[in-house]
Amino acid sequence: MKYLPLVWFGIWRKPGRTVLIFLQVAVAFTLFGVLQGLKTGVDHAISDTRADLLLVFSRLSRGEPLPLATLNQIKTVPGVRVAIPVDLFGGTYQRPTQWVLMVAITPDKDWTSAFTFEIPPAYLAAFQTSRTAALATEEIATKYGWKVGDRIPLESTIANSDGSTVWTFHLVGLFHDSDIGGGTEKILIQYPYFDEARLTHKGTVNHLNVAVQDPRMAFAVADEIDRRFANSANETRTQSLRELAQLNMQSIGDLNFLIRAIVAAVLVALLFATASMMMQSLRERTPELAVLKTLGFTDRAVFLLILTEATAVCATAALFGLVLAMVAFPLASKFIPGLSMPPIVVGVGIALAALVGLVSAAVPAMGAARIQIAAALANR
Amino acid sequence: MQFFKQLMALVRLNLSGITQRLGPVLTVVIGVTCAVGTLVSLLAMGSGAQRQAMANVRPDRVVITGVGAQRDMPLDAAVTIRNLPGIRKGVDGESIVTLESTVQLESRRRVTGTRINFPLVGVSSTVEQLLPELRLTDGRMFQRGLYEFIVSNPCVRQFTGFEIGARRPIRGNDWTIVGHFDIGAAQQCVAYTDVDTLNSAIGRTSYDRATLMLSSPSDFEALRAAALADPTLHVEVMHEREAVELWFKQLNALLNFVSYFVGSIMAIGATLGAVNSLYAMVDSRRRELATLKAIGFRPGAIVVSILCESVVLAIPGALLGCALGWALFNGLSASPFGFSFQLAVTPNLAIIGVVWALVMGVIGGLLPALRAARVPVTEALRAT
Repeated sequence: MKYLPLVWFGIWRKPGRTVLIFLQVAVAFTLFGVLQGLKTGVDHAISDTRADLLLVFSRLSRGEPLPLATLNQIKTVPGVRVAIPVDLFGGTYQRPTQWVLMVAITPDKDWTSAFTFEIPPAYLAAFQTSRTAALATEEIATKYGWKVGDRIPLESTIANSDGSTVWTFHLVGLFHDSDIGGGTEKILIQYPYFDEARLTHKGTVNHLNVAVQDPRMAFAVADEIDRRFANSANETRTQSLRELAQLNMQSIGDLNFLIRAIVAAVLVALLFATASMMMQSLRERTPELAVLKTLGFTDRAVFLLILTEATAVCATAALFGLVLAMVAFPLASKFIPGLSMPPIVVGVGIALAALVGLVSAAVPAMGAARIQIAAALANR
Repeated sequence: MQFFKQLMALVRLNLSGITQRLGPVLTVVIGVTCAVGTLVSLLAMGSGAQRQAMANVRPDRVVITGVGAQRDMPLDAAVTIRNLPGIRKGVDGESIVTLESTVQLESRRRVTGTRINFPLVGVSSTVEQLLPELRLTDGRMFQRGLYEFIVSNPCVRQFTGFEIGARRPIRGNDWTIVGHFDIGAAQQCVAYTDVDTLNSAIGRTSYDRATLMLSSPSDFEALRAAALADPTLHVEVMHEREAVELWFKQLNALLNFVSYFVGSIMAIGATLGAVNSLYAMVDSRRRELATLKAIGFRPGAIVVSILCESVVLAIPGALLGCALGWALFNGLSASPFGFSFQLAVTPNLAIIGVVWALVMGVIGGLLPALRAARVPVTEALRAT
């Protein structure tokens, strides 16, 4: 402990150089933090998705319609608590580029349990009372300046019973979708109204949402649903929301490989930079170190002194970089939702930084330890 | 003139000292190498995906899609489209127009067993004239009215269940694979069958799009005008290139954002490293620089000479980075977004990498160069 001032003075011997090294390490570990945060954010997002929520699609293809009649068969499967038909259709608001996804659902008893939507009770009640009612996500309402009570005309390719392709809904409330993969540009409308009003594809749905009684039975229920429709004209593929999230993430693919490759490149560059700086710094300090040894410092003490200096700078810089990354997360969450940094990443980051410090300082420190006092002082 | 003479002398002096300053030199070179290598490798994903998508694009092919949310076209649009002007006529005198209808089917990867989607595209019988690059390598063409389809060779290589004779149930009927084909240099997994057979099997009453061959690329405007003027058609007419670019815009935007974000952060790191190394170099040469000034070298020449040194050090880093990126990743197959392509490190990317490095070199050299020019002659000469 009594050497602490010595370490401190060593670090600040050339303030400019130390600040630059500090910044360089901090920048490298900001990148490390963001990349790792991305990875753990994705992992967390997957494990947070509901495993007890099943989605029944057509086995042929996700986009193929299923007849509404499948609903009654699914309801009889043991373990199914709530089954809600869902149809999707796209429309545009005012301009052809302003997309809105319309999600048509049947507001049966307890329907919200089969979705990831958070709807305030007052809005929920209002949605159930009117057939042309719609609920919008907070995000899309803000984007287009919609207010509760507005009438919203949406242009679509599906004709309604008037022969028009404009669908007008009455916005009765807002909601939030806690499923981060669900997209935000959507509104909820009533399926019974939509199905009655449209001219084509009557009586079909895109998929069915099924909430099971017991999450542990989710796999068994999913298999049973698919078994019931096997070899029929409407074979189904039932997957939990979590499985779907995993599949989506797999399609993003070798994220891990990419992150590891980048982190490796960053660390190699950093290692060289710090090592060369340490060497430069020790060359300049040779006379001072010789004085220390003259005063009775052992080789070992000098060696440890140098190592401590390098490690302390690297570790604090890494901590600073990781904090910076964490500060940046709320800003980045707009583009990439669910970023987070668990303590383990911070720990690994600081350990890596300390390692970089140790490795880069080891060779110069050994050189410093081996300084011959007479030669070093005579050099002057 | 004298300025240049001084500058050349200084640059020669700087460069002759490089071997004695191996540590700082390596820091700059390796820092730049890693930054440029990462940037180039990441950008190679985007350029690889694009090259793959553009591999078979021809100027005389045109894509017609419906407008609006679903982008589909009613079945009766087929006749109208066939009669549009400017379309090349095939050997049988028919217009070379192919109407398409696509469903996404599921398959499994050979090695990992994970599920992956591939498109089954229903096409008209003119497909062989429309896609001259399509070449059957095994088996035979599908027949109209039969539940048959052909698959591209990349499917067979990557996924299971695509051997000739393999069956696949679609809507309760068994479909048989009757042929394998290559389509130019494309590496995508795609399957073709007859569009009307597919539509009736899955109960679909529209086409997704039409692709046609022009008599000559210059007929595009006439065709487009006629299609837009026809009141029964609600369509968008695009060159094949535009259609592919539209499809790739979002993916490319994402890839480029990631590449430049990571590339910028690493460049900042490398620049800081360069600043540090050059500061150290300037510090260790204070005496020499002061002497130079004392014997009449101008500060301007000293500033430029140090900038030159920093840029000269950045360039081998850039080249090494590009070379490493090329050696490690060029031609590597990746399928990060659900479809496969090969990473491509192109000369364009190398140029971006070199420019990136030059910027790092100039910014990194600026502050140390200014400090060098400000070395006070008397103080520096007195310094030990």
